[in-house]
Amino acid sequence: MKKIMYILLFICAGVAAFAQSPKGKYGTFVLTNATIETVTKGTIANGTVIISNGKITYVGAATTAPQGAEVIDCKGKWIYPGFIDGGTNLGLSEVGSDQRTRDLNEIGEVIPQMQALTAVNPNSVLIPVTRVNGVTTVLTAPVGGMFPGTAALINLHGYTPDQMYVNFKGVVVNFPSTGRRGGFDRRTDDEIKTASEKAMKKLNEVFDRAIQYHKLDSATKSKGVEYYPEMEAMLGVVRGERAILLEVNAAKDILEALKWIKERKLKNVVLTGCREGWRVAADLAKAGFPVITGPVLALPSRDYDRYDKAYANPGLMKKAGVKVALRTSETENVRNLLFNAGFAAAYGMGREEALKAVTIVPAEIFGVSDKLGSIEVGKMANIVVSDGDPFETKTNIVHVFIDGWQIPMVSRHTQLYDEFLKREPGVNKSQK
Amino acid sequence: MKKLFSSVLLRKMLSAMVFCWPAMLFAQDELAPVSRTYAITNVNIVQAPGRKIDMGTVVMKDGLIVSVGKNVSIPADAIVIKADSMYVYAGFIDGLSRVGLNKPKDEERGQRPKDPGNPKPEEAGITPQNDVRVSLNPSEKSIEELRALGFTAAHVVPYGGMMPGNGSIILLGGKSADEMVLVNKSSFYSELSPARGVYPGTVMGVMAKYRELYRQAALSRAYENSYASNRAGIQRPATDRVIEALFPVVDKRQPVLFKAERVIDAQRVLTLQSDLGFSLMLAELKEGWDIVNKIKSTNAKVFLSLDLPEDKDKKDDKKKDDSKKEEGKKDEAKKEEPKKEEPKREEAPKTATAEEKAALEKRKAEFMAKYVGQAATFQKAGVKFGFSTLSAKSGNIQGNLRRMIEAGLPEDAALASLTTTPAEMLGLSDRLGSVDNGKIANLVISDKPYFNEKAKVRYVFVEGTMYKFEVKDSKESKDGKKGEGSKDSGVKAEGEWNISTETPNGIEQSKLTLKKEGNTISGTMSGGSINPAVGIDNAKLDGNSLTFNFTFNYGGSDITVEVAVKIEGDTFKGTSTVAEYGSFPTEGKRLPK
Amino acid sequence: MKKFIIIACLLIAVSGMAQQVERGTVLIKNGTVLTITQGVKENTDVLIKDGKISQIGKNLAAPAGAKVIDATGYHVMPGIIDAHSHLALDAVNEATTPVSAMVWEGDDLDPLDVGMYRAVAGGVTISHAMHGSANAIGGQCQTIKHRYGTVDPKVLMMEGAPRTIKFALGENPTRVHGNNGAGIVPNTRMGVEFVIRQAFSEGKEYMESWNKYNASKNQKGFRGAPPRYDLRMETIAAILRGEIIIHCHSYRADEIYMLLKVCKDFGIKRLVFQHVNEGFKVAPELAAQGAMASVFADWWAYKFEVYYSTAYNAAILTRNGVVTSINSDDAELTRHLYHEAAKTQKYGGLTDEEALSLITINPAKQLGIENRVGSLEPGKDGDVVIFKGHPLSVYAIPMYTVIDGVVKFDREKDADDQRLYVDPKQTIDITDAVFEETLSHDHDECMKNAEFLLNVKFADKNR
Repeated sequence: MKKIMYILLFICAGVAAFAQSPKGKYGTFVLTNATIETVTKGTIANGTVIISNGKITYVGAATTAPQGAEVIDCKGKWIYPGFIDGGTNLGLSEVGSDQRTRDLNEIGEVIPQMQALTAVNPNSVLIPVTRVNGVTTVLTAPVGGMFPGTAALINLHGYTPDQMYVNFKGVVVNFPSTGRRGGFDRRTDDEIKTASEKAMKKLNEVFDRAIQYHKLDSATKSKGVEYYPEMEAMLGVVRGERAILLEVNAAKDILEALKWIKERKLKNVVLTGCREGWRVAADLAKAGFPVITGPVLALPSRDYDRYDKAYANPGLMKKAGVKVALRTSETENVRNLLFNAGFAAAYGMGREEALKAVTIVPAEIFGVSDKLGSIEVGKMANIVVSDGDPFETKTNIVHVFIDGWQIPMVSRHTQLYDEFLKREPGVNKSQK
Repeated sequence: MKKLFSSVLLRKMLSAMVFCWPAMLFAQDELAPVSRTYAITNVNIVQAPGRKIDMGTVVMKDGLIVSVGKNVSIPADAIVIKADSMYVYAGFIDGLSRVGLNKPKDEERGQRPKDPGNPKPEEAGITPQNDVRVSLNPSEKSIEELRALGFTAAHVVPYGGMMPGNGSIILLGGKSADEMVLVNKSSFYSELSPARGVYPGTVMGVMAKYRELYRQAALSRAYENSYASNRAGIQRPATDRVIEALFPVVDKRQPVLFKAERVIDAQRVLTLQSDLGFSLMLAELKEGWDIVNKIKSTNAKVFLSLDLPEDKDKKDDKKKDDSKKEEGKKDEAKKEEPKKEEPKREEAPKTATAEEKAALEKRKAEFMAKYVGQAATFQKAGVKFGFSTLSAKSGNIQGNLRRMIEAGLPEDAALASLTTTPAEMLGLSDRLGSVDNGKIANLVISDKPYFNEKAKVRYVFVEGTMYKFEVKDSKESKDGKKGEGSKDSGVKAEGEWNISTETPNGIEQSKLTLKKEGNTISGTMSGGSINPAVGIDNAKLDGNSLTFNFTFNYGGSDITVEVAVKIEGDTFKGTSTVAEYGSFPTEGKRLPK
Repeated sequence: MKKFIIIACLLIAVSGMAQQVERGTVLIKNGTVLTITQGVKENTDVLIKDGKISQIGKNLAAPAGAKVIDATGYHVMPGIIDAHSHLALDAVNEATTPVSAMVWEGDDLDPLDVGMYRAVAGGVTISHAMHGSANAIGGQCQTIKHRYGTVDPKVLMMEGAPRTIKFALGENPTRVHGNNGAGIVPNTRMGVEFVIRQAFSEGKEYMESWNKYNASKNQKGFRGAPPRYDLRMETIAAILRGEIIIHCHSYRADEIYMLLKVCKDFGIKRLVFQHVNEGFKVAPELAAQGAMASVFADWWAYKFEVYYSTAYNAAILTRNGVVTSINSDDAELTRHLYHEAAKTQKYGGLTDEEALSLITINPAKQLGIENRVGSLEPGKDGDVVIFKGHPLSVYAIPMYTVIDGVVKFDREKDADDQRLYVDPKQTIDITDAVFEETLSHDHDECMKNAEFLLNVKFADKNR
């Protein structure tokens, strides 16, 4: 017991030591002389963006700055809306292999009431590492059984979860898999069928019960229902107010899921994963639900698939007419979101669509396009300034603003670099 | 009733019963023949591939072939078998199997080994000193099964890990283990099988251990020789049962028989062979088509597996063809009165997924052809080979041979691989492999040429002992009659039955419900200890004998019961067998509708 | 006693089996040639003759029978080398013992692994097929060429490549063998050092006893017994003699420093650290001893040992003079090592040449094959990858991969299904849900085959 305490203390101490980064700055910032990719309204050369009180207050060619504003010359630089990762575990897990630092998988098969937002650690060392690379906003989601909990959209700056939260939550549902899980899955065909039928039955049972609960709740104006947290969490879903984030990957499962959505007449659904979306892209397009897919940098799902299928998947779905956003499914390396977008762009999606897939498309999917996803006046000031094409590997992000706060461009990784590039002392203790 | 199969005492009692079982069988055995001299007359003799005598006679005496030919005089004491227009061949030889061996019980995984890097040799699967005779059981069912196909000798090896022990060549007949053995310690059997949880736990561990033991044995052997010449004044060589068992291999007096099914296994074995230099027999090979020349260059002796991937598609083909024909008819009908909606459906196969699937199916078929054509590939490359049955189901062996022949293996070559070639490879040409004077009287007699689809084995002789096989009227012949008679000789299995089984704990009552659709029988068992009801599997009705099995949960563990009964009208009688406990008398009575 | 010349057989087995390697002739026309060691050459041809680079220059003529690739607008660079991979292996860990130096991955190569083809499609022509990290002293590894298409494991082995062996420090060996595993030493980093020092010391004794025996056995009247042959000690002795390069799985600065000292004490010079996430903290010490480093571009925080890491590791090591490479340890990551190398430009500003060296000449040095591969120079192996776009660009796409002058990958002509062997019993239903479910790099290749020894269940990244 004592040992564990020590280790915990050690970890906490570590976190604390590195949380001593410089503070963010709030105020009015004028970013001048930049190439602005607004995403929704074209590209502006030599443009200016003004940030004030957390909002974008100006986008255009102005050359004068408001009084008291901090002017940042962005000559040769590019301006983008903050990038959005449509699916991560960021903030919920610190050290992947250490269960004590993992808060993303609660016990239970049907626990939609579990709130990812509650467990987000605003002081996670992983957060600065992510945001200095241009990712300002992520969906962070719990994992586990059929209903592992409720995911939340967060900005990567703030000292409480509420300061980070950006107005979107979705109930995660892992759609039952109707097939074998891989070579190691030795179940017979019948066993698989039985298991998937059982899972479907369970899924339907949860929804049927949620509908009953909703009817009772409506009829009694919330006064006649007992404490039933699972169903309470499902109310929004049944009423279409809260999105279902339906995780489904294999081609056959996707088709099953589309059938199920249709039967249930569900409207507010986002399909996530869709690793084999390319195989059934036409069906996905016809159904019309948006898809959040990724990681792009992944192996094909079957040994006989073409080697680049995972790279090409977003582009193939997009071409078929599916609304596609990207995700990394990452924790510590959410920063690679832009590289995932770059690969998707190169393998058929095209740069323009890939850019949208990490900005305005996820903003629309999450119902926050009034706040995020493009450089437009009135939107939340989530802004990234880069010294080149942000998808290009060597491009550096030079400024990041989140919700109007100018983010210090330091993280554990930059701090260690600064300390150790020229270590002092070197090999000999007495010498520099 | 609930205490069924539960008490320790009962377990002991039952296991005693299991031990008694073989003895009981012997008690029921047929009477001894009046003479050990046989004459098979008027038979087509295939002495060896390419050597035939039409309508000749074979005479056997005291387990040996004494005369073969057209005008052979029949001794007065001979039992004459009129094998009119039948075919006689030398008994077949199996290059690698475990026929006749009691399967060791799966040892439960005990405690985690203390130092898994240094296990005892036995724990590591290293038991090269083992002798097949210890676990050879003359009344093992597999002997009968293999013999019924015409096999009369087999190279059998012990169960175990990487070095399970010595292989022996046995005759598939005889009353005791020792009597069955023709050549003991005929090979040093090896596998690339890792141990469980201890070193060597991987195939690379097995390879390393193999090299190390071999080299240690080579050094020990040399030292032992020098010690033997003058013992005084130097340390005595350490005794070591593992190392000593390797001496005959190191001296190249005993070949290594290595199991290698996959292409990659075979090459690993060849690597060991080229590193260490032992003489090699490669057995149970299934994927050798790409390495024929490599094998050829090593002079290893090869036994190809008689196991082939089952061709499910082929079985279904007829059905598919039929349905296609029907579809075709429908299509024609459509053309006559076209409808607007239908064509959309017909476009479906043109989608990308359908094309992809077709391409994948094509590759599958390509590989099926390689597996089935392996023997033909070896034959064309001029590599001699025998066959082994280690992983083949006996029921598939004849069919698999025919598939190989259809894939281009000449019948003579197939016969050679069952007879002369294995005899030669195993150093038995003077005793086995052909129908010639002086050889051991191992023969197989079939009513048509052996590789004919309709051929049935009628007699098998093992060292002059006759095994006769009654030919059951096949369904096809019944189909010939057609009409009412084809109704399974009037035996009706479907319906509800009350079953009672006598167990040592009393009578177990249950209910059996049988359904029949086409030729398949399905059903459920319920009642008594079987709660909830369970489905039955592998139900088969052959004449009036019904067999099936079912598995139910009793006190947390699954118990599988095999039922075999004979139906007489509205009753049946037979046995229920539980693997670990034995067989119990079972009776059934049909419930009135 | 003559028989024990067999001891030399291992070496012969590795080097003597190059018989069936296919070698081709290719002329690559008019590309931008990134030679790595001799600068960038615009509009230049590369001629590979019978598997070797014969000429690099302008307007080269194609020999009869040569395949010609028009590389106009394309970038031509040497085949990528992955210094840490578990592709084409059946088993990764002989995890039953803390010192498994007797086993060798060359024994369980799997030429049918379609992952190899996928790596080739990412421009990787050579990988270091490594034993896992379950043991303080692991098994011997094998440098392979991705000659995909052969079923012969010996054809995969790169002829003449030096022997290498895997070592491992820190959490993995202590977890597998210590109190959470088999319950034997090592349970701590102290134990790991002890296990290695013990093995080296015993190896030294072993070597000496054989030397003594060999020296006296031919003397007249000698009748003594030979020492017991021990394959594990044979390998250790070869390490001590400098015949085997150590590739050591490591993370923390202290453990890296420990092995530096142990190797110094035993006079071992050829030492490469793998992963070495905290290598940047002891970069001056690594450089001073000539030890090399093979790192991830940006992996970190998947376990506690790598919590204090930085993506700037490769840049810091390079700037401190440590020969550094970027590796994958992963069937997916290996397919875009060129992209991983480019990350060092973002994290530390390495030049194009420095960044590309991390996946070509530097890993070649670490595997002791730099005289054969790793750069485009006449005389070297005809291993080339041709990119549309600059290989360090995120938009780069490998178009052709050539190994020994044989085109192994051609994106335009690439068929979907690249399996060498197909299971004829496989049920094919492409809309079926049968598929590998592992997302990204959640599986742990380095600890494959070691799980059974652990009391604790771990389903996470545990490199």
